[in-house]
Amino acid sequence: MNIQQSSKLPFEELIAESFEGVTGDWHHELCKRGFQNYVDVGWPGAKNESWKYTNLNKLGSHSFSIAKDYSTAIPEDMIIPLDCPRLVLVNGVFNSELSDQKLLPEGIALTPLANLSDHQKTFFDDLRLGKEIKYALPLASLNTAMFSDALVLELAEGTELSSPIHIISIGSGSQITFAPRIVVNVGKGAKLDVIESHVGASSGMYFSNSVVQFNLQDGAKVGHYKLQNESNESFHISLTKVLIKERAIYDNFTISLGGILSRNEIQAHITGSGAECCVNGTYLGAGSQHIDNTTLIEHIAEGSCSREVFKGVLGDRARGVFQGKILVHPDAQKTDGYQMNRAMLLSDQAEINSKPELEIYADDVRCSHGATVGELEEEHIFFLRARGIGRERARRMLIGAYISDAIDEIKNTGIRSSIQGVAENWLKHNLYEKK
Amino acid sequence: MALLSIKNLHATVGGKEILKGINLELGPGEIHAVMGPNGSGKSTLSYVLAGREGYDVTKGEIVFKDKNLLDLEADERANEGIFLAFQYPVEVPGVVGMTFLREAYNAKLRYSGHKEADAMEFLKFVRSRAKTLNMSDEMLKRAVNVGFSGGEKKRNEILQMAVLEPELAILDETDSGLDIDALKLVSEGVNKLRSENRSMLIITHYQRLLNYIQPDHVHVLAHGKIQRSGGKELALELEANGYAEFSGEAA
Repeated sequence: MNIQQSSKLPFEELIAESFEGVTGDWHHELCKRGFQNYVDVGWPGAKNESWKYTNLNKLGSHSFSIAKDYSTAIPEDMIIPLDCPRLVLVNGVFNSELSDQKLLPEGIALTPLANLSDHQKTFFDDLRLGKEIKYALPLASLNTAMFSDALVLELAEGTELSSPIHIISIGSGSQITFAPRIVVNVGKGAKLDVIESHVGASSGMYFSNSVVQFNLQDGAKVGHYKLQNESNESFHISLTKVLIKERAIYDNFTISLGGILSRNEIQAHITGSGAECCVNGTYLGAGSQHIDNTTLIEHIAEGSCSREVFKGVLGDRARGVFQGKILVHPDAQKTDGYQMNRAMLLSDQAEINSKPELEIYADDVRCSHGATVGELEEEHIFFLRARGIGRERARRMLIGAYISDAIDEIKNTGIRSSIQGVAENWLKHNLYEKK
Repeated sequence: MALLSIKNLHATVGGKEILKGINLELGPGEIHAVMGPNGSGKSTLSYVLAGREGYDVTKGEIVFKDKNLLDLEADERANEGIFLAFQYPVEVPGVVGMTFLREAYNAKLRYSGHKEADAMEFLKFVRSRAKTLNMSDEMLKRAVNVGFSGGEKKRNEILQMAVLEPELAILDETDSGLDIDALKLVSEGVNKLRSENRSMLIITHYQRLLNYIQPDHVHVLAHGKIQRSGGKELALELEANGYAEFSGEAA
């Protein structure tokens, strides 16, 4: 039982307030359903298996208000530096002045929330896998109850975009909360790279609670690369829901390095045979940052493969959580799944909680997983020093190499080197030159 | 005047005394072999010279090019011209061979007050060195030693030596883990690097390496001390008689 059921849940009053900003009956009904789901599940505590290692007490007890200001400037030095069309959300609301919607290539459509077709509205249907409590998504339900705008992108069948689309979510203000909602529907055989940068406009503390959905129709090819670089004291909780149909290829990478507490949750459902799914990432933490990566890769159809590599570097009192589950349904024969989480701890007080899980109901599959925790190896440092490289430089080379090994998983080379730069910049400012 | 002078060197590892009074002098361009049974302190001597942490000198002195070596950190020793070719070269995932060589080369340039090398010039230089050692530069595009065979790892060490041009090279059991073909290749590489400005200290258990790299002097190390010194014929004598003569407690 959740002890909070007797009193009001966190954000309950704000939900009532946010209902006033909805854009029509359909949106209103959707928010109400989201609210009901949220109330049914309650605020996640330590007894909720999925949230066991990520304590939300501080977030739940903090007093936020709903963001009202939707204009700001793009913090250029915090986003992934790439020259491509941008779509910008400020406090969860689309900002057309900061966006390049006119530069969007042919074949891609951006539809405002108020003008969604019935078919597009179905993208917002219940996100849960089932009614059981273990499938509950309390924070995603909170997003559904509170989101005030959505970015809905559709790429037409057979369209191949050469330039990526950059979605930038900016938190602007202090003590505010907002709920970005993004839907990307990629038509049959279409090809697209999407970048997400989640950043803060200032040092203000806020709570971004995002839900991102990708639907890959048969034969679609999607690269999806995310930077979580929220301002220092902020909270970032996100759910990425991916539907992968026949022969579709999904390549995902998340780099998490901002915020005081963040959770990057990915649920990929492979419903078509011959599909490929890569869910990779790196996490960098210092100070008292808490970074959670929770993933579920669900193989539903026969003959699909998935690959998952996460690598993290944690210094000071930083804490990492990795929960990775591969679920193979009885019909998903010939599944090929691989999962690896590696963490490097640079201080005695840094911590990683790693929970790999395989749940397999088919008998002809190949699935493996592994997890390692380690420090910088003295043997490596001595080898570099014996070649004349100073201790500190050797240390930096080895940490950089450790991370770039994960970043190398990114298939798009331009985006790979941009993300490499972001990681090196973070290491420089948070680990190397801080002391 | 000696390039390297070791006097009454005592060293401990984990509180246990391994080296118990070593005396050794190497002149410029000389090749010395240190042979000895397992556990005699051969590898400890090489690590002490290279400055590895955990190998503590408790007594004695080491002078290299008129400098007190014990005052210098491991990287400073390397930049002064000491090169240790490892018995077991480590794999360093993510660090690309070429990047690693450039870092090491530039570290030495900076140490001696010079400007860093031009990237293109350096690339040409490394390629030419690799070519003289009959090595493909494909290896340099990969992470250092990752997935290399035993022979490739040892040749990679020799390439690093060819690029960094040390005045003193310490070859720690370079022959271990090599088949006869790989041993020949590595030895040829080492012989190409022989010069009057480069001394070598070859540490080995077996005489076979010395068939390919002929030493000027041979020393027998046992129980933490040099027990006997002689010319290259001493190695042959050891090959014939083994180390039995030195197996008793040290005098």
